[in-house]
Amino acid sequence: MISVIGLGNVFLGDDGFGPLVIESFRCAYSCLPSVEVLDLGTPGLDLAPYLYDKHLVIVVDTVHSDTDIGTLSMFCEEDFMTHKAKLRITGHDPGLWDSIAHLRLAGHAPSELIVLGINPESCEFADRISQRISSTAARAAGMIAQTLIEHGVACTARDPATVPDLWWLRIGHVKQAAAA
Amino acid sequence: MARITIDPVTRIEGHLRVDVEVDGGVVNKAWASCTMWRGLETILRGRDAREGWVFAQRFCGVCTTVHAVASVRAVEDALSLEIPPNAQYIRNLILIGHALHDNIVHFYHLSSLDFIDILQIPKADPRKAASIAEGYSSWTGNSWQELAAVQTKVKGLVASGQLGIFSHGYWGHPAMKLSPEVNLILFSHYLQALEFQRKSCQVVAILGGKTPHIQNLAVGGVMNAINLNSLATLNMDRLGMLQSILEDLIPFVQQVFLADTCLLAAYYPEYLHLGRGVDNYLAVPDLPTDAAATKFDLPGGVIMNGDLASVRSITSWKDAEFRKAVAEDNTRAWYQGGKFPPYQGQQTPDYTDFNPDAKYTWVKAPRYNGSPMQAGPLSTVLVGYASGHAKTRKWTDTAFDRIAAVNGLKVTPNDLQSTMGRYLGRAIRSSILSDLALEQLQALTTNILNGDDTTYNAPTFPAGEVMGMGMHEAPRGSLSHWVVIEKGVFTNYQAVVPTTWNASPRDELGVPGPYETSLIGTPVVDPEKPLEVLRTVHSFDPCMACSCHTLDATGKEIAAVKVQ
Repeated sequence: MISVIGLGNVFLGDDGFGPLVIESFRCAYSCLPSVEVLDLGTPGLDLAPYLYDKHLVIVVDTVHSDTDIGTLSMFCEEDFMTHKAKLRITGHDPGLWDSIAHLRLAGHAPSELIVLGINPESCEFADRISQRISSTAARAAGMIAQTLIEHGVACTARDPATVPDLWWLRIGHVKQAAAA
Repeated sequence: MARITIDPVTRIEGHLRVDVEVDGGVVNKAWASCTMWRGLETILRGRDAREGWVFAQRFCGVCTTVHAVASVRAVEDALSLEIPPNAQYIRNLILIGHALHDNIVHFYHLSSLDFIDILQIPKADPRKAASIAEGYSSWTGNSWQELAAVQTKVKGLVASGQLGIFSHGYWGHPAMKLSPEVNLILFSHYLQALEFQRKSCQVVAILGGKTPHIQNLAVGGVMNAINLNSLATLNMDRLGMLQSILEDLIPFVQQVFLADTCLLAAYYPEYLHLGRGVDNYLAVPDLPTDAAATKFDLPGGVIMNGDLASVRSITSWKDAEFRKAVAEDNTRAWYQGGKFPPYQGQQTPDYTDFNPDAKYTWVKAPRYNGSPMQAGPLSTVLVGYASGHAKTRKWTDTAFDRIAAVNGLKVTPNDLQSTMGRYLGRAIRSSILSDLALEQLQALTTNILNGDDTTYNAPTFPAGEVMGMGMHEAPRGSLSHWVVIEKGVFTNYQAVVPTTWNASPRDELGVPGPYETSLIGTPVVDPEKPLEVLRTVHSFDPCMACSCHTLDATGKEIAAVKVQ
């Protein structure tokens, strides 16, 4: 079993990147039922059930880094673990690392974890995602598909693609994001 | 005199800062501050009342279902719209699934490590631990082999010197009192709880379509299609699946979770006399069993000044006194001043930085006829016990018997008004909810087998203004959503949430809220490690929801305890 998970708060500007990419991926690609594609919002420790005993988990989230705003990066678990002591305590902890560490101790952690992150412009209260971030959604969806295929997981482009339901964004902005 | 600032308080959902003044080793003043603004009410204004619940469940990333249900109940109340019995049962089962999940996670993963010392576990004798565990619970997951396996994992963790997520615990603190064996038993349940957390999520997902953020609600009922002959709808297969998940989950609640809190109470009896705080209790009735919501499986009521005999029952969601009594005071919160009943509620920000003598938090001060109230499972249990609710009596008395069986400690209902009482209250309420889950599922099945497959009554919105209030007794306590609707659109929306009741700041008269009051008198042995303060704060299951979830690849600040 495989999970593709979007994390983030859709009302906090670029923090809604995870949910945006998940919806873009769902509409542009199709996978077998063994791949769960989920927008989980900001679940805290409630993330653990969705990671439980999975072969592969791909998490899409905003990741602050020293790169340019809008840069997409792929991380593996060790990239974060080596900096674990310095990981920032966010307003939503306990989150991903606590969930993983609990599951590892209990013997039910995912075999492989990949984080697809973007360096955000602003995670402030807003009903829009900044242009530099939303314009990468289609590319991020493509990177998820590529990663799945590299892992031997079937994933094919939908033809035609369906229209994303970005219910939380302003109408004008929805068109903009969908076109991007 | 020392001033201790804990910012943020970790192992909670969201962001909370607690400041205490310690004099002579005891807390004499406390301030609770929520450091995030919640703006969802502003988003809801101008929205179609039929879709409000989709937005309202984003009040929080964790307790999503509770806000969704309170929202549809508020709109239904404004329209005097009844919902079909099937819809009541389905909502009730979702709410129970969510509550069990929340309470299990709170006890084991968010608070038990305030009492368990991980570094003691390597010293335990697993065979002795297994025999202790058999003595207090009939649970089958306590074999010595199982306990030895957990001990090996912990030994590995300790030997590696990398405690990871456990590195911030106050290990070796003089207020830690469990034997190595009891530490091992409780920590093995901490790990097993991950599996049962998952099962309770499945209950919510099967009925709600997904979790978090269920998809099956509607103003007027639920959108679950019921057809016993269809593979794609709610059918006997799904009902059977729910039954079997519940049968796996319930023994963990009643034989492990409840037993473990009783064990803690027996070993930490001083916490039955600490942390009483505000002794006014509020619980609202929930789990309606008929279309018009006139009968409830869980009682509501109000207790003032800790006097259980004075309980006033709330028997209806229409309760006139409740609607009149609730107001929110902005005097000490970062909003423009004043005290408003929820229908007229305002949240215009007026941020001043943390000023303990003036404004210091984003949480308003809710008051009930002018008084602060404590909300939470303990309130439900005290109200149920005081008003003679049979299942509350049964499980509370069971808890008292279990505590007495450990070391002869006699506990009375009055002792529950304490930090440990809040832990016990949560486990007692979960045990009650477990019994009720099976009853609700039976009622749903029977109703369907009797030929009723309706789940929805369509709403009609009048042109003029209507007001409504939706209640839910959530895992953290009484929740109410208050809505004003005109032509089918919200013109005002206010949520008075459990953590607002409990994390309330001082009000216009300077009267502090439950967190703040409960900390007065708490001993603090080591100001650098204020474990005793955390135990009482965590006993409320704090949730300062609605936050930004981001990761940092380079590493920035970590949690801090500052002593001045």
